[in-house]
Amino acid sequence: MPFDKERADFEARAKRAKAMGSPTRLGERKAAGILNARERVELLVDKGTFIEAGLFATSIKPDVRDKSPGDGVVSGFGKIAGRMAGVNAADFTTLGSSSAEVHGKKQYYVRETCRKNGMPMVSLMECAGGRIPDIMGAAGIGRAGEGARYTHARETPWASAVLGLTYGGGAFTCINSDFVVMRKGAVLAVSSQMVTSVAIAEEMSPEDLGGWRLHSEQTGFVDTVVDTDEDAIAQLKAFLSYLPDNATQAPPVVPTIEPVAAALDTLVPESRAKTYDVRPVIKAILDKDTYFPLKERFAKVAVTALGRIAGKTVGIVASNPMFKGGALDPDGCDKITSFIVLCDSFNIPLIFLADTPGFLVGAESEKRRLPGKIMTFMAALELSTVPKIALVLRKSYGQAYLNMGGGRSDVTASWFSGDISFMDPAVAVNVVYAVKPGEDPARYEQLLKQVSSGTTAYELAAPFMAQMVIDPNDTRRFLTGMLEVLKRPSQHRLADWPPAF
Amino acid sequence: MSRSTVKTEITGKVWKITAEKGQRLAEDEPIVILESMKMEIPVPAPLDCTVVDILVSEGDTVTEGDVIAHIES
Repeated sequence: MPFDKERADFEARAKRAKAMGSPTRLGERKAAGILNARERVELLVDKGTFIEAGLFATSIKPDVRDKSPGDGVVSGFGKIAGRMAGVNAADFTTLGSSSAEVHGKKQYYVRETCRKNGMPMVSLMECAGGRIPDIMGAAGIGRAGEGARYTHARETPWASAVLGLTYGGGAFTCINSDFVVMRKGAVLAVSSQMVTSVAIAEEMSPEDLGGWRLHSEQTGFVDTVVDTDEDAIAQLKAFLSYLPDNATQAPPVVPTIEPVAAALDTLVPESRAKTYDVRPVIKAILDKDTYFPLKERFAKVAVTALGRIAGKTVGIVASNPMFKGGALDPDGCDKITSFIVLCDSFNIPLIFLADTPGFLVGAESEKRRLPGKIMTFMAALELSTVPKIALVLRKSYGQAYLNMGGGRSDVTASWFSGDISFMDPAVAVNVVYAVKPGEDPARYEQLLKQVSSGTTAYELAAPFMAQMVIDPNDTRRFLTGMLEVLKRPSQHRLADWPPAF
Repeated sequence: MSRSTVKTEITGKVWKITAEKGQRLAEDEPIVILESMKMEIPVPAPLDCTVVDILVSEGDTVTEGDVIAHIES
């Protein structure tokens, strides 16, 4: 056969490169039920579609070339549910998938190819941090700074998974992403606990430094948490199914499955003092089994979820009275702001469902910069150009009414039960007239009646500040119809918004 | 089994105590209900757990971040 010698050499080289790091480390992972980089890629992409880039790349350092197959990352392109995407999968068995010159070049190549050709990028991350000694010295850190390798201008969706110890560059890739899933047991931090213990004498476990609870509940950097690598990859695929390939396209439309019929007016208590969980309301509005919450464990007072109505992707923003009574707090503002940025960048219409007593006032909120958070949220809302629908479910007071899209959406609407004002009438009686119900019940009731007049949905509809007042049970039909009316693409004015704020 | 605390996420007055010592709760089931922002706002169990101790009484004023219960999970 022609090229026998070359073919044998090629196959031997490919076999060595695909073997990744040491068999011992690969064996340890297998025993722990953790997939290796190539197994992850195989699970992510459609069978037989992966085209690898950089299989024969190695470290730039001659003395470690033999120990650095692929330089610690499996890169390339493959189809995910039939759509081509770029993939970078960290190979932790090779030098801890640490950041180094060739390692970075491979990832940058995939990233730029995706950007130029309008494809999503998936990063399956683990990273020991910057590779020492490569990154040491002036030239070392200088090389790491070459090129604009960090900025994500949201031209195509980036989805990342934190699947092990992920420090430095690996962590930054995740932070820059539009969606992050984290496997329990994985860690995301700037530096490892070995560095922090030396640098600032702080001793703690990797889990406490950057585990799933920290990032899903306190920082909000992680959108969803799973138990296994397999679940993480399923979540990445699910997220991408709601997104277009790039910002110039509309999201894919899929066949509609009607939700389980639920009378929405039975899911929301009539009394404004009673709390309830808004999530069943959202599920009853969306197509069956399409509710896909982001950052569900973070700032629970706000729900941000992708979903579909009549097969089309929508972004739902809802205050959730079950937590803090639906009073929006500083973290809730951040959560909604980042979701507006995501939806506006990828042509996903936004639907705001408001049932809120207002922003969460008090010393703690002020310390945590609530006024600034409210205005950042408002800036994102007003700069967004994707279609927006604002719907008041039960009550919506003060600045929160405006931030939840009231008066600054394509449509402002209210259930017939809507109560809209500057503040809860009961609070207004105390503040304005200094009358408390226990002190002078008759006068309190008289003033409450007086202050409560003019707060109904019809009072918003009369001056055409609300375009529609609807029966709660007509919500899905109303939204389905309006989404057919509002179908313009976004102008993507939020595409350059920072990744974290 | 690990022991942890449950903190209030909002400032308000303890309106009702809905769980008792030793009770098994599912995630998001209320331990106490606060009155705040003119609403009855539950302080839910953060995960499936058993209530070890409740540290507040009805009528108490609590501030965001106060520990209201110990739980075991």
